[in-house]
Amino acid sequence: MRLFEDVSVGDEIPVRSKVVKREDVKAYADTSGDQNPLHQDDDFARVVGFPGIIAHGMFTMAHLTSAISAWAGGPSALLGIAVQFRAVVFMDEAIEAGGTIADIDPHTRRATLNVWVRVHREGVTEYPIKSSSAKVQLA
Amino acid sequence: MPLNRELIGKEYGEVSFPVDRDRVTRFARAIGETDPIYLDPEAARAAGYAEQVAPPTFPTVLQITTSGQAVVDPELGLDYSRVVHGEQRYDWRRPIVVGDVLTTTPRIADIFAKRSNEFLVIESEVADADGETVVVARSTLISRGTGR
Repeated sequence: MRLFEDVSVGDEIPVRSKVVKREDVKAYADTSGDQNPLHQDDDFARVVGFPGIIAHGMFTMAHLTSAISAWAGGPSALLGIAVQFRAVVFMDEAIEAGGTIADIDPHTRRATLNVWVRVHREGVTEYPIKSSSAKVQLA
Repeated sequence: MPLNRELIGKEYGEVSFPVDRDRVTRFARAIGETDPIYLDPEAARAAGYAEQVAPPTFPTVLQITTSGQAVVDPELGLDYSRVVHGEQRYDWRRPIVVGDVLTTTPRIADIFAKRSNEFLVIESEVADADGETVVVARSTLISRGTGR
């Protein structure tokens, strides 16, 4: 686990980036059980007004959780997360997950992070996840 | 159409879910996990876990059955074609591992409106075979209004 002494308010966790691939979203649909056609069928997605299928919000959240867990020193250090889904993610886009230490409680040695996922799309930065937070146990 | 507020507090049928290795491995691969504790039982044990670890958002696999029951409840009056996943919260007590048998009784924690949208909050406290809470999952589904 990450040491309490090594963490300060304002610190940023390393940004974790990955490109969203169609085959991963398909695999996610199969293993999560969420078979909504919005995540699998381009024609269906176009009827709803998107240029193609979108990733599951939970797929994007899983990437964010990986980033926080890797920084914190593993899943045992994760206490909680609360995210808001604010924008969609299309195939072959790079999602970047990150966060900033917002608060540290010296008594419980718990850190609260402001966390987000962003994508750069046509010169604009969109936030599929924003105004979200996570709680981590420090050692 | 507004959702039926009388259903706040309603509980649905208990869901039981054995956590098997194949499902955990496929889930970890699908989300791009590279930490071997999620893929290999030996690596997980070497890192101090009892068994291969399920990624923290793995409880989502229960949500199709937990939230699913509310979504199709005719008393609720939800039009699923208008629904988007608005918020998700997890409060973890310990990592889930292969071999855990999880049970949960989902309930409608809240229903409220913001502008023309209706919000449905479903909470599932997930317990292990000993009855100890493993994670509390809280999903907010948004039923988009017609803008009027």
